Amino acid sequence: MYERDYERESEVDGMIEVGKVCLKIAGREAGKYCVVVKKIDKNFVEITGPKNVTGVKRRRANILHLEELPYKLEIKEGASDAEVLEAWKKSKLLKKLGLKIKPGKVEKEVKKVEKKEKPKKQKETKRREKVKEKKK
Amino acid sequence: MAKVKVKKRLPSGRVKIVERRKKPKFAKCARCGAILHGVPREIPSRMRKLSLSEKRPNRPYGGYLCSKCMREIMKEKARSMG
Repeated sequence: MYERDYERESEVDGMIEVGKVCLKIAGREAGKYCVVVKKIDKNFVEITGPKNVTGVKRRRANILHLEELPYKLEIKEGASDAEVLEAWKKSKLLKKLGLKIKPGKVEKEVKKVEKKEKPKKQKETKRREKVKEKKK
Repeated sequence: MAKVKVKKRLPSGRVKIVERRKKPKFAKCARCGAILHGVPREIPSRMRKLSLSEKRPNRPYGGYLCSKCMREIMKEKARSMG
């Protein structure tokens, strides 16, 4: 049966602000870091990792499922993922929390196209040289 | 291997006593001992046929701790950082 956790509710009430770095403590994203982007109402906030930094997608989350950390990023309310990423880079938290920035979707596609455009270099082996000489 | 005797009705109408492998006990939380949800109670040979996502909840400590204990551990982790 579900029991309301009154103690936790009173702890959390009105404490989470925009820009706070939090740890998710419930569900499959538990143990991952996220940033609060927007307040939706009394119980819910919008959070984001972004996904290529911490693995948390932009989504709505219950305040009870977040545990705030003593760190804060400087972002506006409703900031986009790119703005949050820059805020991460400016702060020294990436190294402290052991996070790495993975290439996002757009960057990956650009890399793929670059690979295709590059002509393949043929390795010059002894056998090929012999064939060339014969042709001459 | 512990076995259980089960009565089974055959197509001819006769009732035969069949031996079957006993099921193991419920999976329990390592911290508080509560019965874990989402972990099937099956014999090992049946367990091997299940996919990974059918065997335990997809979260850290899934299939080892209950969700309440996992939450408490995560909270402690967050509070020790500051």
